[in-house]
Amino acid sequence: MSVSLSARNIVKRYGGVVALSDGNLDVHSGEVVALIGANGSGKSTMSKVINGVVVLDGGQLLLDDKPVRFSSPQAARKMGIATVFQELSLVSKMTVADNIWLTREPLKSSGMIDRKLMWEKTEALLDLFSGTFKADLKPATLVSALHPDEKQIVEILKAISLNPRILILDEATASLDSRQVERLFELVKRWKAEGKAIVFVSHRMEEIFRIADRYSVLRNGKTVGQGDIKDITEKDLIQLMTEKEKVFQFTKAASGEDTSGLDHPIYLEVENLTTETLRGISLKVRQGELLGIGGLQGQGQRDLLLALFGDIPYEGKIRIKGEVVRFKHPRQAMRKKLALVPGDRAKEGLLYIRSILDNFLLPSWQNYGFPLKMKLAKRDALTISERLSLVMAGLMAPVSSLSGGNAQKVVIGKWLLRDPDCYLLDDPTKGVDVNTKAEFYGLLTELSQQGKSILFYSSDDDELIGLCDRVIVLHDGKIRAELQGASLTKENLIAASMGVSNGGEA
Amino acid sequence: MKRFSWDEMMNRYPAFFAIILLVVALIINFILQPNMFARDTLNSNMRVFLPMILLAAGQAIVILGGGIDISVGGIVSIVNTILATQVGLNGSPEKMWTFVLVSLGAGILAGAINGFFIAFLRLQPIITTYATSFLYVGFALFILPNPGGGIPAEIANVYRNTTPLGLPLAFYVIAVVLLIWMYIRSTRFGNYLYAVGGNAEAAYETAVPVTWVLFSTYVVSGFMAALAGIAITMLSGSGNAEIGVPMTLTSITAVVIGGTALSGGIGGVAGPVVGAITLGIIQNIISFSRIDTWWETFVKASIIVVALAAPGVINLLRRKKV
Repeated sequence: MSVSLSARNIVKRYGGVVALSDGNLDVHSGEVVALIGANGSGKSTMSKVINGVVVLDGGQLLLDDKPVRFSSPQAARKMGIATVFQELSLVSKMTVADNIWLTREPLKSSGMIDRKLMWEKTEALLDLFSGTFKADLKPATLVSALHPDEKQIVEILKAISLNPRILILDEATASLDSRQVERLFELVKRWKAEGKAIVFVSHRMEEIFRIADRYSVLRNGKTVGQGDIKDITEKDLIQLMTEKEKVFQFTKAASGEDTSGLDHPIYLEVENLTTETLRGISLKVRQGELLGIGGLQGQGQRDLLLALFGDIPYEGKIRIKGEVVRFKHPRQAMRKKLALVPGDRAKEGLLYIRSILDNFLLPSWQNYGFPLKMKLAKRDALTISERLSLVMAGLMAPVSSLSGGNAQKVVIGKWLLRDPDCYLLDDPTKGVDVNTKAEFYGLLTELSQQGKSILFYSSDDDELIGLCDRVIVLHDGKIRAELQGASLTKENLIAASMGVSNGGEA
Repeated sequence: MKRFSWDEMMNRYPAFFAIILLVVALIINFILQPNMFARDTLNSNMRVFLPMILLAAGQAIVILGGGIDISVGGIVSIVNTILATQVGLNGSPEKMWTFVLVSLGAGILAGAINGFFIAFLRLQPIITTYATSFLYVGFALFILPNPGGGIPAEIANVYRNTTPLGLPLAFYVIAVVLLIWMYIRSTRFGNYLYAVGGNAEAAYETAVPVTWVLFSTYVVSGFMAALAGIAITMLSGSGNAEIGVPMTLTSITAVVIGGTALSGGIGGVAGPVVGAITLGIIQNIISFSRIDTWWETFVKASIIVVALAAPGVINLLRRKKV
């Protein structure tokens, strides 16, 4: 069953954002192709194009050298393409067997599902991973009772039960432990020998070199390199993923006088912070420090900021100015003069349909007495909007009338009114236009000069390198590297993000 | 580590809570009415409970699929008014049969209208069926503006007094309903129902025909509401366009205390059937204990609030422990 799939010059736009401008991928029977790229390089879009989740805007997909167009995941599935989704496609209140065989249940002549046979077939599939999971993963176990790694295994088995010709593993190893990964790789080798074609999307360098035969590197939506994995080194791959063109000239807060920050007192101290995704984070932030948080998306950056803001439960110790705090509610964090700029400004940061004034004053209304001193409130809001050079029709205009960058200014502005000591920023420049970004950088520098501590997570590596003196890189819920001074380079940052430990002191 | 066993338990035995409640209610009822297990008393109770049992079974199917059907009471009313006006107090058994079939057709049609709006046009179930409930009650009022009419007493008595092998007719009907449910539960359609109610998006990605599954739940519910309408007409023997209106909320209450989650995908039909019987017995208790009838609404409302809040309270207590 020889099969080949080629993606040629794929273009995919989301609204005005170009996710892929020239994506290319070739995969044939009996080989594993690693799809590699940094944050936002378009690798997840690429895998979604292949499995029919998104419809492409340009370019061509060739299956066995014939052009194809997938309108839905089902269409791709019919052609023998199965995907192990990273966001799992399981129904949690159904059993493992029901989930794997949904729509393909073996039936008895009475029209009833042959559960015995279905369980046997499930047992056979589970045997593929036998010994790597707890004994309570049985065909009749409810998916909701499983651990994340076991759910991932069920998702893998669901895909392989289709006996696909082409299998896409989209970050399938992310929640598996090392033994399970080991087993998966043995299986991948077997499937390869059976003539399946496998696309392996991963951000773990070590795994890519172990399992892949060929690679395809994406950078900024373009395929910048393809070839045999044996002809390339880890370093060269990282080089490929790293882009040279820089848009901005960054000016660091204390450029030239880097050391001055070191004698500022410690503001925030975190010891062994653990949540569902974080696995023991310890760090210190000084007053006036702009600490960068890097790494691939979803490595625990969001949890770190939310835990510090008292938004999610955590274990571990947090000290602010030496005093142990345990926030159970963001309100308590606000009282301690913390501010959070959340990652999803439309959902978490703003009341979209309310006015700019309302949004600015939302955290601060209690400072305006009863009845509210509206004149004073308006004057303060206006001051802030001028300071941020907010482009708006007026304070009463709804936030929904603003552009992305200006809306983000409102999120920052509402905290500026409270004059916090510490800002927690979750990818604040995402979807923000270039000019606003520049203003933003100026503001961050200004704030840190005023002695504010800032934790700045960004998915844009250039920003981190350009703005921060020190960057911690998260990988799998742990601090993989701490980069500063000479070690703070893009190569080291990407290497650490990918789990390669040659950058910085871990 | 056995903390999640509650979830597990509710999942495997969704009727658990309903059965405890049933036993408690039975004991109280027995104290107040020692002859409640005598053949006549049992039969007169069960024939009163049966319409609600049928209605709750249909409602359970919709709720399992992730929806809700607020129009079931309206469908009961339509069926009641069709039978009361078309068969008449002096109608023949043949006429009765004809219009029983017409009624079932009307129920299926009403359910199909709901299903079309919700499954194909993707409208909100609660809003859609709220709107169609007015449509259906309005249509019933159009058929029979003032209470009256009815079916012949001898036909009604077949429903009221048939006790094969000394057991109430309702027992046999319940057995049939549960057997059919057990069959459906073990077919592919049964699996689709749970998948759509549990996670419609994942079901869609796995090629489950989500639209048709949703559509069918409302058709089933309409059919069961028509059966309930036939049963209640034979029980009362007369017509009243408002007869179904208070039954809607009760059917949802029966489903909820029967352990079938309003969020969909969890539970079954057996629990709601037990729930409907329990609610009937609670009504009995209220009338026997000679307390004001307003208690009835109060008790029913309290039960639904407690049943809805219970999982949340359990979660809250668990979170406190952490």
